Amino acid sequence: MNVYELDRIEHLRDWLALSHQVYQAVENDLGNCNWQPIEHGEVVKFKPNVRPLVSPKSLFFSEQENMFVFDGEKFRETLPEHGPRVIFGVSACDLTAISYQDKHFRKDPYYQARRQQTLLVGIDCTKPCDGGFCRSVDAGPHVKDEIADLILTPMPSIGGENTGWWLICSSDAGRAAVSGMDLRRADSSWSSWREMNRRHTEAEFKSDVHIINGIQRINARAVPDELWERLAHQCISCSGCSQLCPTCSCYATRDVAEDTNMVRQRVWDSCLMVGFQKEASGANPAAEAGRRMYRYWYHKFSEDYVAQMGRYGCVGCGRCESTCPGSVGVHSIMEKISNA
Amino acid sequence: MIKTTPSVCPYCGTGCGIGLRSDGDKVIGVEPISSHPISKGRLCSKGWSAAFATGHENRVTSPMIREGEGFRKASWDEALTLIHEKFSYHRDHHGPETVGMISCARATNEDNYAIQKFARTVLKTNNIDHCARICHSPSVAGLQQTLGSGAMTNSIADVGKADVIVVFGCDPTESHSIIGSDIMKAKEAGALLMVVDPRRTRLAEIADVHLQLRLGTNVALLNGLVNIILERGWEDKAFVAERVDDLDVMRKAIAEYTPERVEEITGVPVDQQIQFARLYSHARAAFLAYGMGVTQYVSGTNNVMSISNLALICGHVGKQGAGINPLRGQNNVQGACDMGCLPCQYPGYQQANDPAVRDKFAKAWGTTVGQIPGMTSLGMNEAMLDDAFHALMIFGEDPVLTDPDQNQVTKALKKLDCLVVVEMVMTETAQLADVVLPAACFAEKNGTFASCERRVQRVRKAVNPPGECKSDWQTIAMMAEKFGAKGFGWANSEEVFNEIVSVTPIYSHMSYPRLDESRGLQWPCNTHHPDGSPVLHERSFPIGKARLIPVHNLPTAEQPDVEYPYYLTTIRLHFHYGCGSMTRKSPLLERESPKGLLFMNPRDANNQKLFNHAPVGVRSRRGYIETRVVVTDQVPPGLLSIPYHFFDTPSNQLTNDAQDPVTRMPELKACAVRVEPLARDAEPKSIHTLRALHEAELAE
Repeated sequence: MNVYELDRIEHLRDWLALSHQVYQAVENDLGNCNWQPIEHGEVVKFKPNVRPLVSPKSLFFSEQENMFVFDGEKFRETLPEHGPRVIFGVSACDLTAISYQDKHFRKDPYYQARRQQTLLVGIDCTKPCDGGFCRSVDAGPHVKDEIADLILTPMPSIGGENTGWWLICSSDAGRAAVSGMDLRRADSSWSSWREMNRRHTEAEFKSDVHIINGIQRINARAVPDELWERLAHQCISCSGCSQLCPTCSCYATRDVAEDTNMVRQRVWDSCLMVGFQKEASGANPAAEAGRRMYRYWYHKFSEDYVAQMGRYGCVGCGRCESTCPGSVGVHSIMEKISNA
Repeated sequence: MIKTTPSVCPYCGTGCGIGLRSDGDKVIGVEPISSHPISKGRLCSKGWSAAFATGHENRVTSPMIREGEGFRKASWDEALTLIHEKFSYHRDHHGPETVGMISCARATNEDNYAIQKFARTVLKTNNIDHCARICHSPSVAGLQQTLGSGAMTNSIADVGKADVIVVFGCDPTESHSIIGSDIMKAKEAGALLMVVDPRRTRLAEIADVHLQLRLGTNVALLNGLVNIILERGWEDKAFVAERVDDLDVMRKAIAEYTPERVEEITGVPVDQQIQFARLYSHARAAFLAYGMGVTQYVSGTNNVMSISNLALICGHVGKQGAGINPLRGQNNVQGACDMGCLPCQYPGYQQANDPAVRDKFAKAWGTTVGQIPGMTSLGMNEAMLDDAFHALMIFGEDPVLTDPDQNQVTKALKKLDCLVVVEMVMTETAQLADVVLPAACFAEKNGTFASCERRVQRVRKAVNPPGECKSDWQTIAMMAEKFGAKGFGWANSEEVFNEIVSVTPIYSHMSYPRLDESRGLQWPCNTHHPDGSPVLHERSFPIGKARLIPVHNLPTAEQPDVEYPYYLTTIRLHFHYGCGSMTRKSPLLERESPKGLLFMNPRDANNQKLFNHAPVGVRSRRGYIETRVVVTDQVPPGLLSIPYHFFDTPSNQLTNDAQDPVTRMPELKACAVRVEPLARDAEPKSIHTLRALHEAELAE
């Protein structure tokens, strides 16, 4: 594996921006962090250890997109078109989610059209984020080699000052992207430093007993229907958890008239909404809010899906907790289940 | 290229932060804002679907002029010339009292300010109103008498500082979900939750106390509670002595409301009344929120004053975690009131009947202003029916759908010589217009909204408006030019805002940069409170001492009888907003609409041999619609509820336009109806089909 030393992260970003459209999480004046495009030469400081409220999911699986156009005679597929892109500075949880989505959407031309054009630059987290529990579901805090093209990991700091970064080229595409850049080879000590760093970070995570307990109970079907129904009473079907969840992938379709054509669109959906499974007759297998809530968490934590997808559906980012108006996001729900 | 623009959610009055994700000129999605002081990273289903509301489908993108039954495209110049001709003719020949404007509680402060300025300086009329008339005009009128100010006394964050929370006649998890969320969180953290509502709402289910009173008996219950508190000496004696007038009058006037008598009227058992009175009066800080279940009655203003009485004697005003808090329905209904889009008030609640105020504005605006007292929106409707009103301009409202007694409204609007509607889409009202002008939506303009906690926040442009759509203040500026009026030549929304600040004392220390810096400022924001006012009335009331004003219980205008045996009340659903013109563009929200819209208790359904989703006709003395029933114990026997968002099943075919004598608020919350079962396999007909059938019958 090629590993290099890097003084400033921004040098790498600027290099990549020469040939790619680069997206990076940028904090604005209001203290919000979003994925924003950054041009070559633009002076925007890179902040490590930020996890935007919105994952990069929508950069692959768009919240609203056209699928095909029917002009009265022919159907024409409408694939997204753009040049090469870089998503820069993605943390382990979001990268894990992208690799999960890669499996789910492996035959989806819209997703793949964007994904094939995208280089992923991951970054190791050095402290747990607010509400994050990636360690408990094997999704962080460090980036696994196979889920990013390039990985940034910090060199040991001196007196709290960052002294630079190691740049790990974990794929051929990653190696190709930095070839030509003036980089020093790292000496072999990098891997033991990285390993030590990981252990330090992992030790800082808060207790995850409720998560482990909750996963056990869900898999043992040890949560009674009445409890789901009672908890679901606080779910107002806002759809926020599905919108922010980096692995939620459900969509609905609709046909929209545009001039003389009909356009089929797909839009993000949420299985917590009562209409999600409503049939044309009005019959609904998941009419009870409790059933829908159980289904959501079963999808995120069941061993049945591990067999199919290779891991839990949850990557431990904790975004559902921060956006849930009803206090039934992941931490609240797992605590309530484990205390039941 | 995808970018995110921070703005404010266009739906209810909570004022949540929303990031608009746009790709070119299309808003493709939204994201919540974690650092926002109110929403803190949360949104409701409407907020999450806000991108669809901005969609270009069905948008009106150029001026349109009526031609026979339909419309044809026209240039701005042609449309404005026609408007100028009609409005100036009626103003000059029939008097300024025969023309008027309805502004828009969804538009920005800048838009609303420009609209009322145009009405007062160009049309020379005070006929300017907006939909606050049918939501919180009784709050403004009632609280102005008792406290001296009609807005929410405290802030949304105070929910988390209260030890008792009272939710009175509102359903915040559905209609103000993020406030509902704060209430659920506060309850989980240990606060006591008490709900007063004839329906078993989501919050009522988890509440510690639920007073399920009979429809329209608010005043009796509140008087009873005050009586219990005074009888037992549970009032806040120090607060009452120092800051409240007229306790003795109050004590005498309500002595007749004994717990037993109140139980008889309201159906709330005596021990529940005492329990509620004890908890509320003994609380350290009790946050009381109320909504349309208080205001939309013929006794709306009385209801508000009774609530104020209860809070005042317990001293739950003027401190953190407490307060009298009307939850405003629309993103900027607070702002439209602040901007003086009311017949009797200039910007900043300066009274229009005060000659000194009129002089001040005439001087500031450099022209004469309307002198004759203005009419409310329903007053204008009545004048239309009497052929005493000829030209009306409506911005972004759909009174045909949202005002009571739909058939009367349509009849009134059809009598106009000229109806101008400024809209995003062809609403039911726009279809009656002579001229339709294209409006930009919230994502297409800069400006400010004032949320229900009096917080003025910046709205930012994320995308360009489609076609020839414009912000209302720009439309007004073009119109003013056509009328030859001066003082409308603003270059951008910030210039409009600076003019607002210069004439509105409660906004006097605001500016765009200051709003940005502080994430919004709560008025009054002036020399005394340069950083805004999270809590009102901390030291004194605008009228000095607050007043206790005893009022008596009045029955609703219409009551169930043999012919119309049910009470019908109107409600809102979490997934929809107002007339549905924005939320119903979202495929997910539209899918969430229930198949049936008439909520009925299982016992009533059983008595009428109705099953869930059975097709029915609903008839009142004023109209008839068809829909399906939803059998639910959310409503008690004898009470039906119906959401008002659906143009094909308009609840306002049925509602009563009997009005509150003070504010002319119609009694949307109570009328009498009967339910006529249809054949088991019948498909309920939309109002349009019913109308066509009716007309065909007449023709024969």
